[in-house]
Amino acid sequence: MNPTEKIEIEKVSSTVPEPVIDSLATIRDMVSACIQCGTCTGSCPNAFAMDLTPRQLWYNVLMGEKETIFHSKTFSLCSVCYFCTLRCPRGLPLTETMSALKQIAAKENLAPYKKSIRFYKSFMESVRRHGRVREMEFMTLYFLSMKNPFIPLQFAPLGMKLMGKGKVSFEIPSKGSGPLESIFRKVEALEQK
Amino acid sequence: MKKKIGKALVVGAGISGIRAALDLAEFGYGVTLVDRSPHIGGVLSQLDYQFPTDRCGMCKMLPMVDRDTSSQYCLRKGLFHENIEIRLSTELVSVEGEPGNFQVSLRQAPNLVDPARCIGCGECVKVCPVEVLDSFNAGLSGRKAIYLPVPHAIPNAYIIDTNACSRCGECEAICPTGAIKLLEEVRKDFRILVVDDELIMRDSLKAWLEDEGFAVDMAASGPEALNHLSKQAYELMLADIKMPGMDGVELLQKAKEVFPDLSVVMMTAYATVETAVEAMKIGALDYLLKPFDPDTLIPMIIRTYQDLEASKEPPMEVGALVLCGGTSYFDPAEGKNTYGYGLYPNVVTSLEFERILSGTGPNQGRLVRLSDGKPLRKVAWLQCVGSRDIKIDADYCSSICCMHAIKEALVAKERAGGALEAAIFYMDMRTFGKSFQRYRDRAETEHDVRFEKGRVHSILYDENSGDLMVRHVDYSGTYREEIFDMVVLSVGQRPALGTTALAEMVEMPLNQWGFGQTEPFSLTRIHKEGIVLGGSFSGLKDISESVIQASAAALSASRAIHAGGGSLTPEPTPEAPLFDISQEPPKVMIAVCTCGDLLSKLLDTQRLVRNLKVDPAVDQVDFLEQTCTVTGWENLIERVEKHTPNRILIGSCLPDVYAKKIRELGRRVGLNPVLIEVVDLMLMARVSNLKSETLSADEISKINSDVLAILGTGLARLKWADPDPVSYEKILQQALVVGGGIAGMSSALAIADHGFQVDLIEQEEMLGGNLNWLQRTLDGNTTKSILDETLLKVEKHPLIRVHTHSRVRASHGQVGRFYTTVEAKEKDAFTLKHGVTILAAGGVEAVTTSYNYGTSEAIVTQKELEKKIHANTIDPSRLESIVMIQCVDSRQEPRNYCSRICCTTALKHALNFKEINPEINVYILYRDMMTYGFTESYYTKARKAGVIFIRYDLAEKPRVTPMDGSVRVTAVEPIIRQKVQIDADLVVLATGIVPRLPKDLAESYGATVDRDGFFEAAESKWRPVDSLKEGIFACGLAHSPRNITESIATAEAAAQRALRILSHERMPAGKVVAEVRHSLCSLCERCIEACPYGARRVDLELEKVLVSPAMCQGCGSCATVCPNSASTLAGFLDQQMFDVIDSALEGTA
Repeated sequence: MNPTEKIEIEKVSSTVPEPVIDSLATIRDMVSACIQCGTCTGSCPNAFAMDLTPRQLWYNVLMGEKETIFHSKTFSLCSVCYFCTLRCPRGLPLTETMSALKQIAAKENLAPYKKSIRFYKSFMESVRRHGRVREMEFMTLYFLSMKNPFIPLQFAPLGMKLMGKGKVSFEIPSKGSGPLESIFRKVEALEQK
Repeated sequence: MKKKIGKALVVGAGISGIRAALDLAEFGYGVTLVDRSPHIGGVLSQLDYQFPTDRCGMCKMLPMVDRDTSSQYCLRKGLFHENIEIRLSTELVSVEGEPGNFQVSLRQAPNLVDPARCIGCGECVKVCPVEVLDSFNAGLSGRKAIYLPVPHAIPNAYIIDTNACSRCGECEAICPTGAIKLLEEVRKDFRILVVDDELIMRDSLKAWLEDEGFAVDMAASGPEALNHLSKQAYELMLADIKMPGMDGVELLQKAKEVFPDLSVVMMTAYATVETAVEAMKIGALDYLLKPFDPDTLIPMIIRTYQDLEASKEPPMEVGALVLCGGTSYFDPAEGKNTYGYGLYPNVVTSLEFERILSGTGPNQGRLVRLSDGKPLRKVAWLQCVGSRDIKIDADYCSSICCMHAIKEALVAKERAGGALEAAIFYMDMRTFGKSFQRYRDRAETEHDVRFEKGRVHSILYDENSGDLMVRHVDYSGTYREEIFDMVVLSVGQRPALGTTALAEMVEMPLNQWGFGQTEPFSLTRIHKEGIVLGGSFSGLKDISESVIQASAAALSASRAIHAGGGSLTPEPTPEAPLFDISQEPPKVMIAVCTCGDLLSKLLDTQRLVRNLKVDPAVDQVDFLEQTCTVTGWENLIERVEKHTPNRILIGSCLPDVYAKKIRELGRRVGLNPVLIEVVDLMLMARVSNLKSETLSADEISKINSDVLAILGTGLARLKWADPDPVSYEKILQQALVVGGGIAGMSSALAIADHGFQVDLIEQEEMLGGNLNWLQRTLDGNTTKSILDETLLKVEKHPLIRVHTHSRVRASHGQVGRFYTTVEAKEKDAFTLKHGVTILAAGGVEAVTTSYNYGTSEAIVTQKELEKKIHANTIDPSRLESIVMIQCVDSRQEPRNYCSRICCTTALKHALNFKEINPEINVYILYRDMMTYGFTESYYTKARKAGVIFIRYDLAEKPRVTPMDGSVRVTAVEPIIRQKVQIDADLVVLATGIVPRLPKDLAESYGATVDRDGFFEAAESKWRPVDSLKEGIFACGLAHSPRNITESIATAEAAAQRALRILSHERMPAGKVVAEVRHSLCSLCERCIEACPYGARRVDLELEKVLVSPAMCQGCGSCATVCPNSASTLAGFLDQQMFDVIDSALEGTA
């Protein structure tokens, strides 16, 4: 039993699968030397949009508060600018820690992050096919993965605008020549290990 | 009579070097004090204000017993002591030998200005064309190549920065006293042979070296060089390696065969570096990598030259070395996050801000910005710049910056009349020293210094206004921006420059950050005996700790010399017996210094002599040239010996500087120094005026009257001087140590090791104090080893008498002579006689009733935990979670001080638990983690081990509720802003330390305790282990909370301070002491209250107020409060002072 428990938060029934807890242990080691000085939070350009500040996120990692962590959108908002890593006086790999949390969320396909996981996956699929992103294909893949016919409508005005400016080219989604296919396979094989 | 019984070398003349040197000198050793900079005082010469007084006060370190042996003016201005030889601009070059008998050689940078002739007129500065940054003002202002190293030294001689000087010769030409000699004649005797096949190389080398004053010859090849060598003696050869025919290495070999003493420096291109290294193996001194410029070559040649010159001098023999090398400071420009330092003009370091505050600083102390003159109204201090930063390999706390920042903020506020806003951005406010926490609280509540918890991540600079925007996230997570006029970076400490080289020379180990590493349980000793570390050289100490450690270092050095058997005993100076002149009428000889003949043109000598001789006491008036020089002085002595006056008056300049010479003169001619007087004719001012103006007859006449008046005042003082020989008080050369813990035992041993009897009183059944239950220290040393070792030594020492089960019942007396009645269990009370007293009564863990202590077995104190672990009544592998609560009842009134050891103790236990059982959850609830110095790395270690730290505020303390089988702890976690509830198996309370020094015990010796019950030091910074009343010292926990190693350091310091007194059979009184005219005294006892040194007491049997001449410091407070003029001060009698005033007025009338 974890002996800490927050009084004000109702205990969330565990939506986080067990393996997550193991991977949290390694993440905890990454930030264990944190002294909560707040340099990361002050430096973060996206902190304004986060529900937990980076400092709070680290604290929750230290405390092993997996529910809080994986209900927060903090790490998914990290834009990998490396400001926090650069300035952290403890030399902690904070950006990598953010990425590690993203990876757990992706691997376990955790509900709160489905949207961004699909977004990432669609992006990578397009890159896999053509060696670069094809906007039209990327969007199509993303909309399809969301399985919601209303989503494209939300983006329609923006899409029209971009098209009008020639920012989005009309290309039919295709399997492509797949020059990066072997790299992706190799990575998949590595990840399997 | 003073007998010198050995000699020590103190390297570094900063505050700790001065302390160590004075301690050794007062004990009776001869000391050579060297510093590589051209002034004494180290970094403190740049700091004008020190907390807690926010003033200076360095002079309080000067000797109080036999005080006439030493200077008695501002210590920042200078220091002399009979037994101390000060050598500035001097470095240690080599150390050979063994403890008690080292041979050291020193290298002194050449002084191009003769300090004996420089009168400080400053003409040279006016003509010097070279301007460089002034390091004294931390580079905030400029200075010339010829400059005063510090503005306040006395005497203050100019020096030349040889690296900056262009040798234009302007200063040499204008110097009125011919003190400057740019090209030293001696360098011409240093012949250098340059061997290179390239003509251009030879030519430029010759030109560069001749510019420096060396004699240079050239050779184009090896054979030619050998030819030169056979004809003429050379000191140094510069040889190219790659030459056609005979190459440099071959030349080196051949030359060395014939001239083995020749020094050779090889010159080589990169390709042949390996050959150069080979060449060094066969006898080359060094090598130069081509291409090189004069800036590389010249310093190296000069260094070689100086080394060779230094090696010609016989090495100095010393018994021990005290290394007080100090520290350097972190340069923010080197860091990963510079905060714009070096780029934004208004971002300064704490040392630079210190100069901005100073009256001798770049702004003369006005609080304005250097960049645009805007008055400072809002200043931010950023803590931990260069400290607690793992990224730049500084996983340590610099210990001094928190208090330094608060002090700077308070001084700045005071200076601005309160119209200055100060904010300190910090992570943990480390107020771990005695009185630090209250100082911080006062800064916050009374002076509105803002303490912002949070680390600033960056600063934005507004180019138009010059203002700085400080951006940080506060504890609540809110992003904040604030505009400041100036940002001060509290820079951390770094090892002193040259530490590595010094460490290699003396085989001193360094710790992982490059600071000197001492032996376990010692702050001063390294494995090599006879070489000890003082002050911040071994890392991160404030003034008070540095001073304590310096005294402890002096003790270790003294032990080594003592153990060495005094084989280096210099001859005691023969002393002429003082003539008894009490029956003779005054016969005064007046010697007037004419300052290098400059004044003789001006002085109407006949008129002066005529006027002075009106007084029948005046026997002889002489005019001498430059009494400040050796020849001038010898001249004077000759006259004295010829005329045999019984009083001497010298008219010259800088009377303070003469104090040492007067004693010397008195000794040589058999006159009590009281009968020799020096008056200041203000020659310097007069001479510099003479240079620029032609004086009218009126002005000349005015000067003559002035001189007459000044001499008249001196004459008036002399006539009243009391010719009785100096009185002495006998000293009982025995010590009493109260308390038999590690501190008491260490100080007893230290004194006994010097051959003096010690009585050690312990109230418990056995010695050892807290070490009887403490097991282990944070750094893993077992306390048993040090305890057993010390116990064995104490019990076996023939000079230590241990009295257990005993207490002090009463005591009376004063320094030199105390009588203490001791009562013992099952024994009759007995009385001990002793000359000094050391209070080492110790301290204990505080008792508490907070946090439901006592209601559950699962709530224990740190001491109980330590005992449980030792007794194996606790099994960490079966515990699930432990909560440790810090600062229980501490750092809040009434016990508003940090006990200093609880945070590290908590870490020690936490790490121990985690090591045995990594699964265990350890929560440390803290206010500020006081892991000062190198203990910071254990804080990091604990974090890495997974210990959870939760900060709490006084306003929201944790709550502890005993439950069934566990204890529930609730606290507010400020970062995630939530209440946290922990069900713990064990709650450990850090209750801190309370002293065990009974007030009446302290008071029976005339010492006092502070409001927390700890020993009150005479001065927390400058005399940290002394009582205001001389002869009483304190150490260990009775002094202040500290760990074992630090306690031992205070014990050694106290012992050293005591030994200064014990080493003398009798104490001479000072020249100026108070006396009582008993016929006028009405016994009102006002003088007793007024005396700050406890030198007066009333003897009820005799019905008299008595003054201890040895304790009296001649301040005169008693004389001013006495309603009957019964209390007088020798040398300042009423009638005497009236005469002095009359003479002064007469002359000007």
